Amino acid sequence: MKLISLSALLFVIVLGALFIYVAEDIPDFGDPYSAPNRYIKLFSMDANGLEDNLNQGVIPKSLADKIAERGLPLPTRVESVEEGEWDFFLVPEEKQQDFYPKEQKYYFIKKEGANLVVFRYAPIIRYIEEGHEETEVPNMVTYILADYRGYDTLGETTVIFTAGVSVLLLLRRRGKRPEGRKL
Amino acid sequence: MNTENSDRGEGKERDVIVDTISRLMVPFIQLFALYVIIHGAGGPGGGFQGGVIFGSSFVLLVIAFGIVNAGDRFPEAINTAFFSFGVYIYTGVGLLCIILSLGVAQYLNYGFLPLPVHFEERRALGMDLVEIGIGITVMAVITEIFFNLAWKREESEEERRGKKEQE
Repeated sequence: MKLISLSALLFVIVLGALFIYVAEDIPDFGDPYSAPNRYIKLFSMDANGLEDNLNQGVIPKSLADKIAERGLPLPTRVESVEEGEWDFFLVPEEKQQDFYPKEQKYYFIKKEGANLVVFRYAPIIRYIEEGHEETEVPNMVTYILADYRGYDTLGETTVIFTAGVSVLLLLRRRGKRPEGRKL
Repeated sequence: MNTENSDRGEGKERDVIVDTISRLMVPFIQLFALYVIIHGAGGPGGGFQGGVIFGSSFVLLVIAFGIVNAGDRFPEAINTAFFSFGVYIYTGVGLLCIILSLGVAQYLNYGFLPLPVHFEERRALGMDLVEIGIGITVMAVITEIFFNLAWKREESEEERRGKKEQE
């Protein structure tokens, strides 16, 4: 008994310390421009000479090879965003079936010291930046809820439906109900 | 004043102000609910919110008139059908997309609905259809839960009254 409560206390203290340690790295709540909400780091590589290629709008061979090595789709176009930052565009495979015939922002390259770091854009970036154009709905909440996350909303509706059916089964009165006066 | 009978639908002196005001308010609340559902694409709102507002108009009726009087106004069988009707609209739109996307199985991709507008605008209209389905389901469920709880209470009170009369 005593050992259990002692170990529980220790566990709580360690967990609390861990939370305080981790809290330093948590991005501001709801900040759409914080790094974890925008892109995921894939890999980093040596920047020697590649920077000039990128600035001229050419995708360096070694970089493309490294992307292909990981089984990721190859970029087709590069665009400079700011000093030392580039966006890679590509047309997703969907185009072949004509679902969404448009090229998308896919990779993000950033220069950090002597290295180039390659990030992959999170899907939410597409929802935020292209959603209005793709769905003709100005309200971001609605088009994410009902279109991009349509399956999720279908599930939510089913949950509510299930709640209604359970109430019907549990509380329904079987006898005859008294008649009321006319309203 | 006899507090025992204060919640009974019949035999209680009703306040004419509460009666009239709640009867007047109900259509306006329902109109607002429809506005919230339809306006979901352009501003704040949507199926869930509009459905809850619509259901709350029936809740107001029950609070004002008592379940015995207001329950008659709302046929339970139709309400039960409404539950599933909303979900049917949602899944039906999705199924229509599967059928009309011809072999590529795009469930819930509203761009394939047979509407005489371009791809992007079809997605917007498909979203409206789906929101209407959600609204119907949520409205029916909220009303059903509230009405059933109110009936349950009315029932137990009736039982208590019956026991007292026997004594």
